[in-house]
Amino acid sequence: MDEIRKKFSRPLKVLVIEDNVIDQKILESMLTEPPAIASFLKIAGKLSEGIKLVNEFPFEIAILDLNLPDSQGIETITVFSRHALDLAIVVNTGVYEDDLGLETLKHGAQDFLIKSKYNSYVLNKVLHYCLERKQRERDLVNAYHELKEAQQHLIDSEKFKIVGRLAGGVAHEVKNPLATISYGITYLQQNLKTPDSNQLKVMENIKEAADRADKIVNDLLDFSSLDQFQKTPASIQSVIRKAISLVQYQLDEKQIQLIEIFTDDHDRVMIDKNRIGQVVINLILNAAHAVPPHGEIQISTHLSAWPDLGLPGSWGKPDLFASGEKIVVIRIEDNGVGIPENVLDKIFEPFFTSRRAAGGTGLGLSICRNIMEHHEAGIKIFNRPEGGVCAALCFRALSQAQEDEYAAKKDLNH
Amino acid sequence: MRQKKILIIDDEKTFTVVLKISLEALAKYIVYVENDSSRAVATACKFRPDLILLDIIMPYKEGPDVAIEFKNHPFLKQIPIVFLTANIRPEEIDEQNNRIAGHIFIAKPTPFEDLVQTIDRNIHQSVSL
Ligand SMILES: Nc1ncnc2c1ncn2[C@@H]1O[C@H](COP(=O)(O)OP(=O)(O)OP(=O)(O)O)[C@@H](O)[C@H]1O
Ligand SMILES: [Mg+2]
Repeated sequence: MDEIRKKFSRPLKVLVIEDNVIDQKILESMLTEPPAIASFLKIAGKLSEGIKLVNEFPFEIAILDLNLPDSQGIETITVFSRHALDLAIVVNTGVYEDDLGLETLKHGAQDFLIKSKYNSYVLNKVLHYCLERKQRERDLVNAYHELKEAQQHLIDSEKFKIVGRLAGGVAHEVKNPLATISYGITYLQQNLKTPDSNQLKVMENIKEAADRADKIVNDLLDFSSLDQFQKTPASIQSVIRKAISLVQYQLDEKQIQLIEIFTDDHDRVMIDKNRIGQVVINLILNAAHAVPPHGEIQISTHLSAWPDLGLPGSWGKPDLFASGEKIVVIRIEDNGVGIPENVLDKIFEPFFTSRRAAGGTGLGLSICRNIMEHHEAGIKIFNRPEGGVCAALCFRALSQAQEDEYAAKKDLNH
Repeated sequence: MRQKKILIIDDEKTFTVVLKISLEALAKYIVYVENDSSRAVATACKFRPDLILLDIIMPYKEGPDVAIEFKNHPFLKQIPIVFLTANIRPEEIDEQNNRIAGHIFIAKPTPFEDLVQTIDRNIHQSVSL
């Protein structure tokens, strides 16, 4: 009970939007006379003024008159709630109109009051109830998004499994004819006595096409072998260094500047080095594809404690690690074109690609996510406020005790 | 130097035709092809190769079973076997020095030059029959 009483006597940050001076005065006195309902109060006489104030101050709740000099009726609430998504809203109407009152709830208000039909006790109660209701609404919206995400994930991983099953069989069937083509061309290139320039060009192009088909088949094979992992203790930085050396050529070709920021932080993790190397390579190549010639890619690592990794937004899976657990974070950032908001939730889908014409299969990120899930580790990709994309990976740090335990077990096996 | 004899056991006909011609173009091998793995031992007895290129996934009899038959054979057992497989990525093999569980593997399609190198590296160890 005390808890509740405390909650209901907490003073609020209130915005009043009301053009009638008498109504303004009534509300002001109700809100500020001790015991004050509002600890912070601003009054606007026009809708536009109110919207301006919302952007300047951290209000919790707004009391809104629907008939203002610059906006009337339902429109007032629809416009206002669009500009004040996080605010609880109470509509303050002059006359009791059932229909209008209910209508306002549909458009973002949490409750409505009828002028001169309430005292400060009722007002206080209504404001606090509204805040509670708004909080519930937010929870519901969040729960909906989480559910949506989980559902999408399920669909993806089902697609993934089917592709994986098909891939193993198909890859073999395709690789054999590919081997014939590729050896055949090599033979012709080396043994044709005096080929003219067109014949040379045709052979070169056949070879290139065969190599590309081979890459796609290899990607598919990755799917079918995704459950075989060999995890050992490893340094993340050494894995990144090796990955960089394998893509250096592609970076140089586009004259991309690679900035490495490695701290001396602990960076030991339990991973399959080849697989995680593959993830890092995929992310670097994605960044390389997104940046212009002479573009910039930055790779950094640091140690954090879950869930505060120094990244914007949440991870969607708050229970990925225990709170306070030490986490090794890798960030791969670029100053490229970024990802349009409307496809941001599709990029992990198998076969989603915006680079089909340039030879993208769209398997890169879905393989990355799968590998990360096999490590009970996290991957997140978001647009940076300053432009470009940041891909972040996070792993549970390996403690000295775990490392010793692994070494002891290994000794035992020898 | 005597030309070395290579036996290719692989059911993919287009591949064996091209590989035989390619290898023989180098003028240092004589190549024989067997597309039916169930006849592998009989063919090897007749041809007496210095090295065998063996596909892994084949109808009738799979590569590893063929290899076991060779290992159990009184004189075929000394012939080095190089497995050809379309089921792994080249990177996976490179990591282990072309070996998986002691056997030599070549991924299809590995560049032709690498295949030749692997053949030459392993063929010299064999005693000619
Ligand atoms: N750093 C980035 N900047 C901009 N867009 C990106 C970035 N990383 C990924 N994307 C988007 O996500 C899509 C999917 O990426 P993914 O790696 O799965 O496939 P891909 O790179 O298109 O093809 P591939 O299978 O060859 O990797 C890309 O096509 C691109 O639209
Ligand atoms: Mg990619």
